[in-house]
Amino acid sequence: MRNNIRSFITAFVAVYCLLYCRSQLIADDEVLSQDESNAADVSYQTEIQSLLREKCFSCHGGKTRKADLNLATAEGIAKGGESGALIVPREPEKSLLYEKIHSGEMPPDEKDRLSDAEIKLIERWILNGASLGDSKDMVSATILPSQHDVIPIMLRRCTACHGRHQQLANLDLRTRATMLKGGKSGPAINPGKPDESLLLQKIHAGEMPPLERLVEVSVKPIEPAEVETLAKWIAAGAPEITIEPDVATSNGDALVSDEDRNFWAFRSPQPVDIPSVRNVKRVRNEIDAFILQKLESVGLTLNDEADRLTLIRRATFDLTGLPPEPVDVMAFLEDSRPDAYEKLIDRLLDSPRYGERWGRYWLDAAGYADSEGKREQDLPRPYAWRYRDYVIRSFNADKPFDRFLLEQIAGDELTDYENAPEITQGIYDNLVATAFLRMTPDATWANITGYVPDRIDVVADEIDVLGSAVMGLTLKCARCHTHKFDPIPHRDYYRLVDVLKGAYDEYAWLKPEIRPGIGPVSEDVIGGRSLPFVTTAERNAWENHEAKITEEIAVAKANSEPEDRIKSLEAKHQPEPRIQALWDRGDPSPTYIYRRGDWLTPTDFVGPGVPSVLTDGKTPFVVEPPWPGAKQTGRRLAFAQWLIQKDHPLTARVHVNQIWLHHFGSGIVRTPANFGRAGMLPTHPELLDWLAREFVHRGWSLKTMHRLMMTSATYRQNSAVTSQHEEADPQNQLYSRMPLVRLDAESLYDSLLLVAGRLDETPFGPGDHVQSRADGLVMPVGTERGWRRSIYVQQLRKQLATHLESFDFPQMNPNCIERRDSMVAPQALHLLNNAMVLELAEHFATRVIDLAGAQPSRQIEEVYRIALSRPPSDEELHIGLEMLTRLHNDWTKQLSTSGQPDSAIVQSKSLAGYCHAIMNSASFLFVD
Amino acid sequence: MSDQNCFDFRAASSQVTRRSLFQSVSGGLCGAALSQLLGRQGLAATGLLANEKTSEAASVQTTAPSDLKPRLPHHEPRAKSVIHLFMNGGPSQMDLFDPKPMLDAHHGEKYFDKIAGEVENPHAAGALMRSQYKFGQHGQCGMWMSDALPNLSQRVDDIAMIRSMYTTNITHEPAIYIAQSGKMSAGRPTLGSWVTYGLGSECQNLPAYIVLDDPLGLPVNGVENWDAGFLSPMFQGTRFRTNGAPVLNLKPDVERPESVVKDERQLISRLDELHQRQRPGQSILAARIASYELAARMQLSASDALDLSQETQSTLEMYGIGREPTDSYGRRCLMARRLVERGVRFVQLFVNGNLWDHHTGLVSGLKSCCERTDLPIAGLLQDLKQRGLFDSTLIAWGSEFGRLPIAQLSPDKDDRNAGRDHNKNAFSVWMAGAGIRGGTTYGSTDELGLNAVGNRVSVPDWHATMLHLLGLNHEQLFVLDNGLKEKLTGVLEAHVVKGIMK
Repeated sequence: MRNNIRSFITAFVAVYCLLYCRSQLIADDEVLSQDESNAADVSYQTEIQSLLREKCFSCHGGKTRKADLNLATAEGIAKGGESGALIVPREPEKSLLYEKIHSGEMPPDEKDRLSDAEIKLIERWILNGASLGDSKDMVSATILPSQHDVIPIMLRRCTACHGRHQQLANLDLRTRATMLKGGKSGPAINPGKPDESLLLQKIHAGEMPPLERLVEVSVKPIEPAEVETLAKWIAAGAPEITIEPDVATSNGDALVSDEDRNFWAFRSPQPVDIPSVRNVKRVRNEIDAFILQKLESVGLTLNDEADRLTLIRRATFDLTGLPPEPVDVMAFLEDSRPDAYEKLIDRLLDSPRYGERWGRYWLDAAGYADSEGKREQDLPRPYAWRYRDYVIRSFNADKPFDRFLLEQIAGDELTDYENAPEITQGIYDNLVATAFLRMTPDATWANITGYVPDRIDVVADEIDVLGSAVMGLTLKCARCHTHKFDPIPHRDYYRLVDVLKGAYDEYAWLKPEIRPGIGPVSEDVIGGRSLPFVTTAERNAWENHEAKITEEIAVAKANSEPEDRIKSLEAKHQPEPRIQALWDRGDPSPTYIYRRGDWLTPTDFVGPGVPSVLTDGKTPFVVEPPWPGAKQTGRRLAFAQWLIQKDHPLTARVHVNQIWLHHFGSGIVRTPANFGRAGMLPTHPELLDWLAREFVHRGWSLKTMHRLMMTSATYRQNSAVTSQHEEADPQNQLYSRMPLVRLDAESLYDSLLLVAGRLDETPFGPGDHVQSRADGLVMPVGTERGWRRSIYVQQLRKQLATHLESFDFPQMNPNCIERRDSMVAPQALHLLNNAMVLELAEHFATRVIDLAGAQPSRQIEEVYRIALSRPPSDEELHIGLEMLTRLHNDWTKQLSTSGQPDSAIVQSKSLAGYCHAIMNSASFLFVD
Repeated sequence: MSDQNCFDFRAASSQVTRRSLFQSVSGGLCGAALSQLLGRQGLAATGLLANEKTSEAASVQTTAPSDLKPRLPHHEPRAKSVIHLFMNGGPSQMDLFDPKPMLDAHHGEKYFDKIAGEVENPHAAGALMRSQYKFGQHGQCGMWMSDALPNLSQRVDDIAMIRSMYTTNITHEPAIYIAQSGKMSAGRPTLGSWVTYGLGSECQNLPAYIVLDDPLGLPVNGVENWDAGFLSPMFQGTRFRTNGAPVLNLKPDVERPESVVKDERQLISRLDELHQRQRPGQSILAARIASYELAARMQLSASDALDLSQETQSTLEMYGIGREPTDSYGRRCLMARRLVERGVRFVQLFVNGNLWDHHTGLVSGLKSCCERTDLPIAGLLQDLKQRGLFDSTLIAWGSEFGRLPIAQLSPDKDDRNAGRDHNKNAFSVWMAGAGIRGGTTYGSTDELGLNAVGNRVSVPDWHATMLHLLGLNHEQLFVLDNGLKEKLTGVLEAHVVKGIMK
């Protein structure tokens, strides 16, 4: 282990201490161990070493060291691996080595398993103390704790009050130097003299850490073993050793091999040839060649092209999340130019509705929410909407995806915003974008749910978002141990933790802002998570407004105007505009690998880095301050720049796969959040690579990719299922047809509003409020203009709008890459019985009567034109007329009980019933 | 259980392929007809998994449940149904079930410094505090119980008490997530969803997993308490309200003539049939039609199941219905029996907010909680026995954590108003009914009741035990997610508590 000599020597000492203590115990308890002590001694050199060499070295020795374990040397055995110590001398049952071979878990291949006799041999060796022969001479009695053993203790127990955020008594305990400097009572430590060290005196006296105040700063009491380590360190003269954090070097990497790097997803997308196909006429662009080739290999071809009415409805829902307006349908039908369809796609891409549709997919991936979640209070995030608006605007502007990622991951390190003479729209966007990494559920605003492990959970969720949304990797698995399937060592996870540390430091934590009346006040909070850097224009406008109000109030008071008038003026004050953001604060705490994910067992010291398997394993990850003299570490900037390299193995692939998924119903990789070994292989690997390279070469333009995919013959085929499909492509993995899809939660809700003429298309700004009824129904609150699109409805984790939730709007825990698509009774109940849907049906009916007059067949045609973007078939018209008559009779009868009914009322009520049925119908809910 | 609602158990649980699954949509499934997308678990069937290591598990997943038909359990079940009485807030074990004479002996002694890291409100921490309730031994088994529970005391021979539960967090929200879903975060499938996922439903007209929450308010964590997480939403708990329309949107918000509603339904179904006829082979459409049919059936059966006017006066009295303070909880207990009778798999009862959370005013607060629930629960046990449902129904009583042996003082520092702070290291729960050896007292705490010491039972152990009684092996009940077996009991080992079973 080139990492550092310290850790293995420490571990070595630990093993020998254990061994020594155990032998004392055994001596006191010799009766029990008589059998074992009579057994012949087992020699490490002659028996154990050769057995381990034969069975274990190929994975845990020499160059390959799975689980960070090296069995090739006595030191390696003494050190153990990432799961901790390998051997507890004299206790085989507690020894990991014995447990793994005894249970048959290791070696993994059954044919390599140890024989019973061999297992017995290992057992006896451990029972006899697991001597490593002469190598024990290596143990030096002078090995002592270093600052790396003590600093984690300080961070856990002391620095909340004597660290970065506060230096009570002028004391900072984060480094040896600051301990020596001490605080107002003098130096905290006196090297070599534990008894004369103030730090230990305070601890021994029970004064520090002060038990009654610990909860306020989310700290647990110091443990006796920690005090002991501290005392030993001071007694030894408080030695400081210099070790470099573990970063990639030119020495190669024992934990990730070249073979690991050879897996398809970990190599850059490869140049591919466009395949040749038999049915050349069906090829509209390169995509079709890839798709047709596979179809033809199983005797299939593409379905026929869908008719124009189907195409316009499909394309319009796909790009805007709404049905086409009747006038657009007419225009498209009448457009006889050969590129009428291409022109349609261009028009749709130019629509501002496009960003509201496709931005939503990205908000799912980011895990967008307007509240913190986790606790009952569900603390609001009053500035999150700015990020939502940023995403929508970025999509509408077709911001290149590489730039979009760069801003979201490291926008705060792109410009020196604190010293900028003006906050431009660009600087504002950069800062707002960083809320991408501030979206996960978070209850660390309260002290009782804000302990270090709670904070680590938040960071873990952010890494999960990065992994699933951007990298297509299940990085989170490596939090507690090396990934079980992918070559992502435990170490690499903590390198990423260190990348985030400038902004997410679990020992110097910025908490979500607490507003009056919610939760206890925490002591170690500075600032919060918002910045005041809205654009200078917005700030000026706010300041002018405030000045004006203040002035008016002053005048009113001077004139002794009535109290009411003054109060109404005061109510005009607006809160300061702020943005939710993530920013590097410099000077992060050191990062240690947490063995088994446990913050109480920090081990190796690591530096920032990226997963080794996605690099050549030799080139160091270089981090530089983002601009000269910056306090920022520049780590996220370096990470983001690495991520958006043109030949990055995953970034472009993962994103084109997501675009494909939303257009075609399933990804080319059907596990869009997992491109690793436990994910699925791409159904069309060459197509995926071709698309990924196109994406990059065409400037990471999303609109270009939409155009490319949607103008393909593959996209334009109809959705009919044939018996040949059922035989040769039952799951549509070959894209032998377009899928029939149900509208998602937002499209359905927004469409109901649109057809009813009640959609308020005002974009942007704070989310619209929701209202909870006593029975749990949560509805968006509308205005006289109607209701806005669902993307503008507040997304409170504990109060999701019932409509959205019923139709599979995801719980963001922490995010969602692919929604489920369920078909459950509560959906039917909602559409059938909910008052808002019924009200919209009435609005729809009124609209139809205005347009079509009183003739039923004209009404039915209008309903179809508006709701389904097509005329009714004869049979549909027939059913419609028959049922409309019956509804008419129902209402006539109902309303006759109190005299002659008003025919207009009967008409509108019966048509509303008809409209309500159409809004419930499969034709409305599904897109061919 | 009514017979016409039963599937043939074996036939229904035989292996199904995706295709035949689609074709076999019967429209007779509770909560939902069919998830037309089999989701991630179904993907493994395509043989495109990137890693051969996972292929074995993948083949298991080909048949991962995606409907609510009854399924064969892993082993012979003891229980068919569960009634889970969740006592959110953290009832004080040393005032109800776990007598601590040493607290009497050391009453008033300072103890805070020894447990500072375990106390949520250090400024209010008082000294060791004895129980104000009197403990006695009851039944043939001689189980100890305090006089706060006079009715349950008479049924101790039916229940098995576990005194050695512990959990890992001292805050309500995370601790309740653990109690419900095994993990400290939202969005995981809860116990009831796992059970429904594993066993399906025996009832066609009602959801398989029903929640009866308190009309006075939702419990902490609200609807997340019955989340299906990454399982299909068809396995999610359905909230039945005990007054008004039992299910959200079950009744129209706006009253309209019956004939109009009927004609509208007919119009939808005629249009849908036409739509489907023009699209042969689209299985998703059959599922959609089935979901509308089920919605209609639910409207009838849900109201019937909750109609307590069908019960006799003596039954109502047994549950304390019609008088305070037992009426509300008594109604829910009786509804639970009626639902179990109709084949509902998992019924969960909640009390409002943090009802048992007695940081202060322990004496009066605990008394009031017990007065609301003690008689109804004893009535439920008695009624289930009388109707022969006791041996097939598992009744589980428990909470997210217990309370500390030291006092938590109210702002006035008056000892008489003291309460107790949260304790994650020890609490008591009990089970009764199917497979349970009544009269058992299992596990123990230290002399102050601070830590579980003997036969410690973790929350995953408790989950594994309930699954076991239902015929499910907690290691085999999983969803394959990116190669990881996601289980209710998580990655650490869990043990079935055999010591409380017959």
